[in-house]
Amino acid sequence: MDTSILARFVRLHDRRGWTAFGACAVLLLLVLPLTLPDYLVPLLGKFLCFAIAAIAIDLIWGFTGILSLGHGVFFALGGYAIGMYLMLEIGTAGVYRSNLPDFMVFLDWKELPWFWRGFDNFGFAVLMALLVPGVIAFVFGYFAFRSRIRGVYFSIITQALTYAAMLLFFRNETGFGGNNGLTDFKHIYGYSLSDPATKTGLFVISGAALLLVYLGSRYLVCSKLGRVLRAVRDDEAKVRFMGYDPLRYKLFVWTLSAVLCGLAGALYVPQVGIINPGEMQPAASIEMAIWVAVGGRGTLFGAAAGALVVNGAKSVFTGLAPELWLYVLGATFVLIPVLAPRGIAAYGGVLAQLLRGRRAVADTPRPPEPDREAEESVVTEGSAEVRP
Amino acid sequence: MTTPRKTQRGSARQQVSRTVDPARYDDVRSRGVLLCVDNVSVSFDGFKALNNLSLLLEEGELRCLIGPNGAGKTTLQDVITGKTRPDSGSVFLVGDPRELTLLSEHEIARLGIGRKFQKPTVFAEHTVLENLELALAGGKGVFGSLWRALRGEQRERIDEVLRIIGLVEHASRPAGALSHGQKQWLEIGMLLAQDPRVLLIDEPVAGMTHQEMERTAELLDGLAGKHTVVVVEHDMDFVRSIARRVTVLHEGSVLAEGSMDQVQRDPRVVEVYLGESC
Ligand SMILES: Nc1ncnc2c1ncn2[C@@H]1O[C@H](COP(=O)(O)OP(=O)(O)OP(=O)(O)O)[C@@H](O)[C@H]1O
Ligand SMILES: [Mg+2]
Repeated sequence: MDTSILARFVRLHDRRGWTAFGACAVLLLLVLPLTLPDYLVPLLGKFLCFAIAAIAIDLIWGFTGILSLGHGVFFALGGYAIGMYLMLEIGTAGVYRSNLPDFMVFLDWKELPWFWRGFDNFGFAVLMALLVPGVIAFVFGYFAFRSRIRGVYFSIITQALTYAAMLLFFRNETGFGGNNGLTDFKHIYGYSLSDPATKTGLFVISGAALLLVYLGSRYLVCSKLGRVLRAVRDDEAKVRFMGYDPLRYKLFVWTLSAVLCGLAGALYVPQVGIINPGEMQPAASIEMAIWVAVGGRGTLFGAAAGALVVNGAKSVFTGLAPELWLYVLGATFVLIPVLAPRGIAAYGGVLAQLLRGRRAVADTPRPPEPDREAEESVVTEGSAEVRP
Repeated sequence: MTTPRKTQRGSARQQVSRTVDPARYDDVRSRGVLLCVDNVSVSFDGFKALNNLSLLLEEGELRCLIGPNGAGKTTLQDVITGKTRPDSGSVFLVGDPRELTLLSEHEIARLGIGRKFQKPTVFAEHTVLENLELALAGGKGVFGSLWRALRGEQRERIDEVLRIIGLVEHASRPAGALSHGQKQWLEIGMLLAQDPRVLLIDEPVAGMTHQEMERTAELLDGLAGKHTVVVVEHDMDFVRSIARRVTVLHEGSVLAEGSMDQVQRDPRVVEVYLGESC
C-alpha cells in the first residue's frame, strides 16, 4: 500500500474540504484582488501575512505542544531582510541623495556595513529572510531542547529572546535604523510600491503563499511526522522509550515554524512600508499566540482564521476606541480557554454540523489519516464557516 | 548527538568506559545470557534505591521480578532503559560493546529494549492503529516519517498485532476511549510492534478484572521465547500463573532467585514478606 506522495496529497482533504479550499483560493487570488477598494488591499494583505505566521505557530504549539512567545522575532527578522533590500532599492532617491540609506548618512557612516552586502539582490534578500530566522531558531532550539527546557520555562526564554533582540535593534550602532527602523521604501523589484497594481500583486502573492503554507503544513501534520509530533506533545518520555529522538523532531518543526514566520514577515514589510523593533516587543509575540488560541490550536485552518478575526476586530476597535483594545485582547486571552478551549474552529465545526441538520459533535477536529480512505474532514469544513 | 540529561541521580558518577570488554561476557554467553546488569547502585539523596545489584537475563526467558514496595523494581527498569543513570555499575547486552548506562533513552530503545510503564501510557488522542504505527520497529527518523507511507508488510504486522491483542474492531478508535484493560493490552501490543529483544513490563495486571488477567497471562506467555520478558508484579497468583523463574528484590539488591516454589520456601523471603500471603 505504498502510495505516492501525490496520492497522499490528494487525500489531505475529502471532496468537501477541497471545495472549501478551492473557494478560498478563488476568493484570495481572484475575487478579492478584483473587488477590494484600494485602501483595503494592504490592510487585508497584512492580515494574510499574520495568517501565515499563525499557521507557523500552530505547528509548534498546537501540534507539538511548545508555546513560543517569541515568534515575533522571526517575523521581524524576515521583515528586516526584505526591508534591507527595499532600503538599498531606494538608491539615490532618498532625502540625502546618497547611495547609502538615509539613516546611515545621518549617522555619518561612509560605507555599507559588511552585513548589508548582497541585500541589493532581491533573491539574496528573500533567501536571507528565510535563512536567518531558520538558523537562529535552529541554534536557539538546539540548546533549549537539548537541555530539555519545557513548558512555561521555554515560553519565558522565548520572550527573553525577542526582548533581547528588540533592545539590540533599538540601538543605532547595530545598523538597522534604530528605533525608526527601515522605511520610506520606493520600489520592489522595479515596481513602484505606491502603485495600486503593485499592492494588488503583493496581496495575490501573500494569498498564494498562505494557501501553499497551509497545504504544506497540512501535508506535514497528516504524515507520520505529524503523528510523532502530537505524540511528543502528549507524552514525550514515552516517545523516547519507543526509540524516537524528540530533540530532532522538535528542532525540525521549530526551525520550520521560524522559517515560515520569516516568510510572513518578508511579505508583510513591503505592504505596510515599514519595519522597526516594535515588531519584536514581547507583547507582539503574545498577540500572535492569541490569534492561534482564538482560532483553535491544532487546526491550521482555525489558526489562520483566528489571525484574520482578531486582526479584523483590532482594526475595528482601534478605529472606535483605541485605548480599549489592549483590554479586549487581555480579556480574550483569559476568556478563550474558558469559553472556547478549542477556539472558534470548534464552533465552526458545530455550526457546520447544525447546518447539515446532524447532531453536533464538539470533538477535536482531527486530520484524516492519510493511509486510509479520508473520511470526514471536520477541520476544513468547520473552519470554512468562520472565514470572514 | 548525545544529550546531557536531567536524570535523577545521586552523587557524581565514577568514570565508566564507553565500551564493554568482550571478555566480560564471554563466560556468560555460553549460558545463553542476553542482558547483564552488573553491580549497579543508585542513590537518591543518600538513600540507596539500588545497592550493588546484579542480574543476568537469559535469551527468551520470562522472568518475574517481585519484592515489597520500594524494593527498587521500577528503579532497576529505569536504569536499564536509560531514564536513570546509576552512580556505579554497568549494564550491557551480551555481544554488543555499548555500555547502556551511557546511552540515551531512544538509543537504548533502538537497541531493542522496550518498556511498559506501571500506569498504562498510550497516546489517548491517537487511534489504536496510529499508536501501533508509532511503535513499529524502524523508521524513527524525521525525514523518513515526513515522506514515507506505511509499507504493505508493516500494515500486515499491525493487523497481526491487532489480532493478538484482540483490538481489531477498535483499530480506528482513539486510544483514550478504550477500557483500562484494553489500554494495557494496547501498550503490550505497542511493545510487540516495536519487536524488542528485551521487554520490561511494570505491573501489567494492576486494576484488572480476573478475566482480563488471564488474557494478559496468555499474552505474556506468548511473548516469551521470542523475546526476553521481565515482568514486575505484586499479584502473587498472577506471578505463579506465568513465572518460570522468579527474582526477589529487597532494599535494592537481589534477595533470592529460583522457581516460585523455591523462593517461597526461602526463609529470608518469608521474613521480608511477613504478613503477606505469599
Ligand atoms: N526520583 C526519586 N527520588 C527519590 N527517591 C526515589 C525516586 N525514585 C524512587 N525513589 C525511592 O527509591 C526506592 C525504590 O523505588 P522503586 O520505585 O524502584 O520501588 P518499587 O520496587 O518499584 O516499588 P513499588 O512496588 O511500590 O512500585 C523507593 O524507596 C523510592 O521512594
Ligand atoms: Mg514500582
